[in-house]
This record gives sequence, structure tokens and C-alpha cells, in this order.
Amino acid sequence: MPFPPRPIDATLHGVTDYTVGTTLLTAFPRLAGISGTESARQIRTAGAFHAGYSTLTDYPLGLVRLIPYKVHLGLDALGALALAATPFVTGQWREGTRRWFPHVALCLFELSSLAMSDPTGAGDFHGDIDAVRRANMEDPHRKIYDGQPAVHPGSVYATAATP
Amino acid sequence: MSSKASITVLRPREEVERLWRDPHYRTEHIEGAGATVRFVQAPGDRGTEIHVELGQSARAGKLGQAVQKLRGSEPLSKAKDDLRRFKQFVETGEIPRSDAVPEGELLERKFKQRPAQPLTQDELQKVGA
Amino acid sequence: MRATVWSGRNKVQVENVPDPKILNDRDAIVRITSTAICGSDLHLYDGYIPTMKKGDILGHEFMGEVVETGRGVQNLHVGDRVVVPFPIACGSCWSCKHELYSLCENSNPNWGMAEKFFGHATAGLFGYSRLTGGYAGGQAEYARVPYADIGPIKIEDDLADEQVLFLSDIFPTGYMGADMCDIKGGEVIAVFGAGPVGQFAIASAVMLGAERVIAIDRYDYRLQMARNRARATDIINFDENPDVVEQLKELTAGRGPDAVIDAVGMEATHGHGAMFAYDRTKQANRLETDRPFALRDAILACRPGGIVSVIGVYGGLMDKFPSGALMNKGLQLRAGQCHVQKYTKPLYDHIRDGHIDPSFVVTHRLPLGNAPDGYETFKHKQDDCMKVVLKP
Repeated sequence: MPFPPRPIDATLHGVTDYTVGTTLLTAFPRLAGISGTESARQIRTAGAFHAGYSTLTDYPLGLVRLIPYKVHLGLDALGALALAATPFVTGQWREGTRRWFPHVALCLFELSSLAMSDPTGAGDFHGDIDAVRRANMEDPHRKIYDGQPAVHPGSVYATAATP
Repeated sequence: MSSKASITVLRPREEVERLWRDPHYRTEHIEGAGATVRFVQAPGDRGTEIHVELGQSARAGKLGQAVQKLRGSEPLSKAKDDLRRFKQFVETGEIPRSDAVPEGELLERKFKQRPAQPLTQDELQKVGA
Repeated sequence: MRATVWSGRNKVQVENVPDPKILNDRDAIVRITSTAICGSDLHLYDGYIPTMKKGDILGHEFMGEVVETGRGVQNLHVGDRVVVPFPIACGSCWSCKHELYSLCENSNPNWGMAEKFFGHATAGLFGYSRLTGGYAGGQAEYARVPYADIGPIKIEDDLADEQVLFLSDIFPTGYMGADMCDIKGGEVIAVFGAGPVGQFAIASAVMLGAERVIAIDRYDYRLQMARNRARATDIINFDENPDVVEQLKELTAGRGPDAVIDAVGMEATHGHGAMFAYDRTKQANRLETDRPFALRDAILACRPGGIVSVIGVYGGLMDKFPSGALMNKGLQLRAGQCHVQKYTKPLYDHIRDGHIDPSFVVTHRLPLGNAPDGYETFKHKQDDCMKVVLKP
């Protein structure tokens, strides 16, 4: 595998996008003990926005393939940093740890996930196609397009050996 | 918790009963557990059913059973293993061995299986191949 | 010896492992001359099949030369050329005696584990996780074949490896898919999936006398092979138009195909839009193990009173199964892992008589050392890849 390892392919990234986006929108505020606060609303918005632009991304789990995958990853990074910055911009960080810690934690989670994401995005193929072509002792094109039909219709009845 | 185990062997009833008593086919855990064993002719061409009910002494409380399951010594599971080995032995003449479970099916193996690749010389000797 | 081993999700490596030895009297050791990568190997590769362990040797489609036999094997001798069926069957249990070889009751030493998943254990398979016994597979230089007096078929003709190799799995599987459709001549058969098994399902339906065989896939090169080589009469590319059910209705003037073969299985890709995102996310979170797109469409498209024949591999549970359509349209749902041993002899005869040349599916022939790239190429359908044969 290439170094640093980037095991999260485009499909898996999509899965995290939707799972995390949905969790942020629903269960996260309660789990983090911040329901009903300004923080909860900020995090919910972040989750909704994230899930939203995910559906418009050009990757395996996108619904409308609009936004290029690399741009999506850029938005992920910007969004994470923006979320982390929010409590400091609004000044709410002074009201206690709970008012900024979730934002920063989520930002770090997102950034580490990005560090492990493979940005090539298109089909997450990690083989060496040139090596395959060199080693291949067969000609795929010929087999598909130039070969004669390989089967005779109705031929099952031409032998006594029919199961 | 259930204390019954059963299996069907594709052989006539007299033959199954005879082989059950044959020392070559001994089912040690079932005998050791003081169990009741019944032989019933299976419907149609399906062979003979063997029904085993474990004695009172072999059963533990719920916690005991959970511990026994983890340690791989639970009497009912061992009885089931015995029945399967009996069936395999009688029907095919051997116990199936795979690379992950070279001794054949054993409760102890359920959590500690080998990778599915051939055994080394040492492992072969231990398994008695 | 060298062997392709599973090393985690999306990873296989060719490693040095011990040579196999005889463990039981009815065993044989085969020196492998050709072996293939199967579509169902991709479910292992993608991490969808549980109970895999690093170091497991993969591969269940292999053939070669017998180099050693146990004392209980009388019908094979050293030097015989054999093709080995992928289900391991004892030949003596009730299931084997009724030709249900992939349901053998005695060949799975992990009976207890398998029972928990499916309610009953099924036969041991080569190279397919502990659920099927934990047997080492055949993408290697040698393999140990249990019950060698029952499974392997002797090849005594001057046929190339690739003409008979697929008797091990995909040709009988495709044939069984068509066989379960009860084709008598004149039917319209739809085949979901134009991968290697789909190609053989199509070719088998043609051999059995179906009048029209419709291939359904999203890759043009696969549909072209289905038409040019396997003699499909019609093709549907659902990438161009995702509504397969509608297109099948059109092709049959509203009736629907008489029988539908699902040669796709649990990693179906032809979901689109929201439904795909839903199922795919659930599957990745392991809340749903099987993707149902092909099977759903098969049930919805099949004509009332018809047969849905399932040979694509499924592993667990799926959401939103159209039970209403199944019941109310009076469909027959027939499924199974192929009972290869039942079909090897008749299909071998058909190959010998020139009715079919199974080597048409091979697009890639690679040395065993290129197995990791072979898996990636096959999985992502690069380089017009249809079937990869490995040469140890």
C-alpha cells in the first residue's frame, strides 16, 4: 500500500459521510449531553450541510454527480475547520468546555479521516494495470469481439448424456 | 436450557445400534454424561434417528453453562460433537478434516481455528495424520 | 509452495506456505496446472463473508495432475489429469445420494458454526471461510482434495486446460441456473448479470433450446461477449436506462420473461439513486448483508407463474424483499449452490462433442504471482476483464 496509508476509498468515505452526517443531525447532541444548546444547533447544521453536499458529489454514493470528489474533500476540510472555529468566533467558548470541545473533537475526527482518505476517488482501483497487460497471455479484445459463437443452440438434445 | 441432542444416520437401525456399542465407534462424552440414548427408525428412506438426553448430573445453572460454553467443555455441545463424529465415521468411514480444523469438529476449536492453509510438519505430528 | 492468501479487506498476497499432505485415507494431492478467480471470491475480497482469517488460501476452481492418493482412493492414480468440483461431497449421506452434493452432511467440520448462520450446515467448500469448513483453496501450486473418490473428474481427452477448467464451478453453476428454469424449448429467459456465471447461464439456456435469451448488465463489453460468444439474442444495458423491469416488459410485449436467472448475488450494483445509497450504507454498516437489486427486479420482471432461478451468491439477510410479488404472481423461487458433481459428466460430454467451448470466457491468463493485480482488475472490470485464469 502507498505510504502514508490511505485505506478509505471513495465508497467508504461516502458511507462515513452519510452515517456521520445523519448521526450529527440526530443522536449526537443527546449523546454529547448538549441537546437544545447553541452548540447542538451548530453541529446539526454542520451535519445537514455535510450530508447535503455529499448527495451532490461525484462519487459512488452520490445521488446527483455534480461536485468533483477532490472538491468534496476540500469542503470536508474547510467545514471541519469552520466548525472548530465557530465557538471561538461567537465567544461561547468562555461558557465552558462543553461549548467548544465537541466542535474541536469533530474537527479532529474529520481531519484524521481525510488524512486516511484516498483522493483518487474514481473507482478506488489499486492494481497495476500495466503489469497485468504485460503479463497477460491472452487477448481480451479478441475473445470478446473476434471470437466465433462458442455454443450451439439446442445442442443439449444432441447427446444421450442430458442430466 | 435444552439437554437434548439428536442426529440422523443413513443406515438401518440394527446396524446403527450395533456400531454404537462397538468400541471402535465409541462416543465418550455421551457415555460419560450418563445420558439416555434412543434409536428410532427415521421416516421413509432417511435411515435411523439417534436421540440423546443428557442426565441431570451433566446440567449446570445458566451461569455455569455460559462458562462451560466459553471454555469449550459444555456437555451438550460435546454430545453434539460426538453425534456428528459418529455419523461421519459411520457414513463415510472417516472424520472430515480441514486445514482450519485438522482434528475434525471439536468444541475447543470454535474460537481458536488455524488459518486455512496446509499444516507444518510439527502440526501434522501433533494431529496424528 | 506459493499460494494466494487472504490478507484483509481488498488485499491478497502470494506467499510461501507448507505443501499439503494426506490427512485422511480418501484424500488425494493434486499438482495444480490451472486455477481461476471466481466472482464469489470477490465477496471474500471485499470483506462481506465472515469468519475469514489472514493466511487463508483462496480459490475453488482448479484442475491439475494427481501426485499422491490416500489408501482409500481406488479410482484415481498418480498422473491422472483431473478437474476438481468446488463442493466437497462425501457421496454417502442422504443429500449426496439424492444428488444434492453442495448440501453434503458430512464434509463440513465446522458444522456447529455453519448451523448458527443458516439453520443447517452445508457442504464444505474449497477456500471459502470457516463457515464452509476452512479448507485451503486452490489458487496455489498444490491442493489436498478430500473424498477424491467422489469429486474429481478424470480428463482423458486432448482438451486444453481452459476448455475443461470451468467444469469445477462456473459452467455447471450457469447450467444449473438454466436447468432450474425447466426449459423445454421456445421460452424467453432473462439473465441478470453477464459475468462469467451469467455467460454460462446464457450459453446453457441456448443449449437447452430457449428461443430468446436476454442478457442484462451495465458493462458494454460483457454484453458484447454475451451476444457474440454466448449467443444471447437481446441485451439490456441498465447504465443507459435503469428501468430493467420496463425494458423486459417491452421486449416481451407485456408478458415478462418466462424465467429469470439471477447470476448477480449480494453485491448487486444496479441500484441507482436513493435506493442504492440506502442499501449500500446499510450494507457497509453491516445492518444489511445482501444488496437486493438484482433479485428484486428479477421477481418484479418475471411473468406470473414463472420461475426465478437464483445462482448468484447471497450470504445473509436483505431488506425490502418483494414477497407480495412473489406470492401473488405465483412464482417459483429456486436457488442453490451448484451440485457440481451431478453435472460434471454430462457437461464434459457436451464439451467433448463440441456443443460448447467454455474457454470463451477467459480474457486474462496470468502467472500466479500476479494474483493481487488479477483480483483488482477483475473486481473493477478493468481492461475488459471477464475471467482471470492463474497459472502456478
